[in-house]
Amino acid sequence: MELEDELFNDGLPKAYYKQNDKGQYVLETNAPWAEKVSVALLISGNRANLEEIRKAVIAGQKSPLCYYIEMRQLTPKMLAKAAGIAVFRVKRHLRPEIFAKLKPSVLNRYTKALRVTLEELKTVPNI
Amino acid sequence: MTTELAANGKPFVHQQAAHCETGVTSALFRHQGVDISEPMIFGIGSGIFFGYLPFIKLSHLPITAFRSKPGSVFRKAAKRLGADFVIKTFRNPQQGMDELRQLLKTGKIVGLATNLYWLPYVSERHRHNFSGHNIIVLRETESGFRICDPTFAMVDCTADGLQQARFVPGPLNPRGYMYYTKSINPHPDLRGACIKGMKDSCNAMLKIPLPIFGVRGIRFLAKKVVKSPDKLGFQEACRNLAGLVRWVEETGTGGAGFRYMYAAFIHEAAELFGSAELANLAEEMDAIGNNWREFSVISARIIKKRGKEEATFAKAGEAMLNCANREEAFFNNLQKVIRKIKT
Repeated sequence: MELEDELFNDGLPKAYYKQNDKGQYVLETNAPWAEKVSVALLISGNRANLEEIRKAVIAGQKSPLCYYIEMRQLTPKMLAKAAGIAVFRVKRHLRPEIFAKLKPSVLNRYTKALRVTLEELKTVPNI
Repeated sequence: MTTELAANGKPFVHQQAAHCETGVTSALFRHQGVDISEPMIFGIGSGIFFGYLPFIKLSHLPITAFRSKPGSVFRKAAKRLGADFVIKTFRNPQQGMDELRQLLKTGKIVGLATNLYWLPYVSERHRHNFSGHNIIVLRETESGFRICDPTFAMVDCTADGLQQARFVPGPLNPRGYMYYTKSINPHPDLRGACIKGMKDSCNAMLKIPLPIFGVRGIRFLAKKVVKSPDKLGFQEACRNLAGLVRWVEETGTGGAGFRYMYAAFIHEAAELFGSAELANLAEEMDAIGNNWREFSVISARIIKKRGKEEATFAKAGEAMLNCANREEAFFNNLQKVIRKIKT
């Protein structure tokens, strides 16, 4: 319940069509209950997912690239197109030992595509 | 409703809209002196649709589109209302921004497609990596641009932020998609445009020979929803269902997957033509909208694990099938009514 309220009090409200007593459609800004429930489920899922990946990166199981792909809501395929690097290479770079050896020229391509700085790309935020 | 000055000093009236593209289009028309509402544009531009695209995923969930593809509503509506318009995309971001600035200097207001994820004023629940969010740029300010986002409000946006949202690297690049009207017919042929729009919608919903579009698409998805807990497991099926409800209710549909908006259009059209048959159909569309709302409520109950007997995946699928049957009947009837009414 708290997450729903937090999410729906944040930011600018959206409008929904609703019939008034005379049968005319008017706009109002109360979000329907079903929407609140499903959005809360999806966002809490996404957050938990991101947090899991962050921990895996700190534990050395995944490369920071994984984290930034998830954060930007991308897939390795999309990132490959954006950065101009073959998909199989991007997937290889998801392994931490290979990611650690990357040249700056490759990393720069990733920073441009993901819009993070080079320092950020090498680590994940440590909360 | 708020009023503000556009670049050439002409007052621009901001009206809250439910959907971005129809909101932008109706605002562009209203700014040029043709008073036309959002549902009207939605109907004339044949916005209503259904498509289930399991092979395109947004944040790991398949896309379920309740409207035609982004960009088509403006193009169709402007064509049918006899407006002279320009649509442009750019390869070079700098060129795109320069052209926007120049247009604003000549006093035009410009519609843009942007990536929702990168717009700086969007809150977390709306941040999808979706590159078809439409906004209007009113004028340039010292710190950036004054933007009217019809789904949200009037906002300020930095030039950097806008450029980032217009040019995103990768397959979701809107490539600075930009559109504006050069001139508008001050007395458009509304009746003819309405008929064209309704005919097009009927064809899109009934006649596409692929199982994932139109009424058949709804049936296809309904079957999939019923089977999903066995195939994916309860947790994953819930996530998929929640994703579907989000497409029905949240993504700027104005509730019930655009069905309420379309009902509003049919109500307006019934008044325009003075046709009792259309008025009956409008009421039918209200009921279909309510059915979709029912479906999303059942889904939410499944997700919340409330009332396990009456809220099951089979029930949700049944509600969708019900929608499909009613929509098929509705569009068949609409086709018959269109033949009778005259422009």
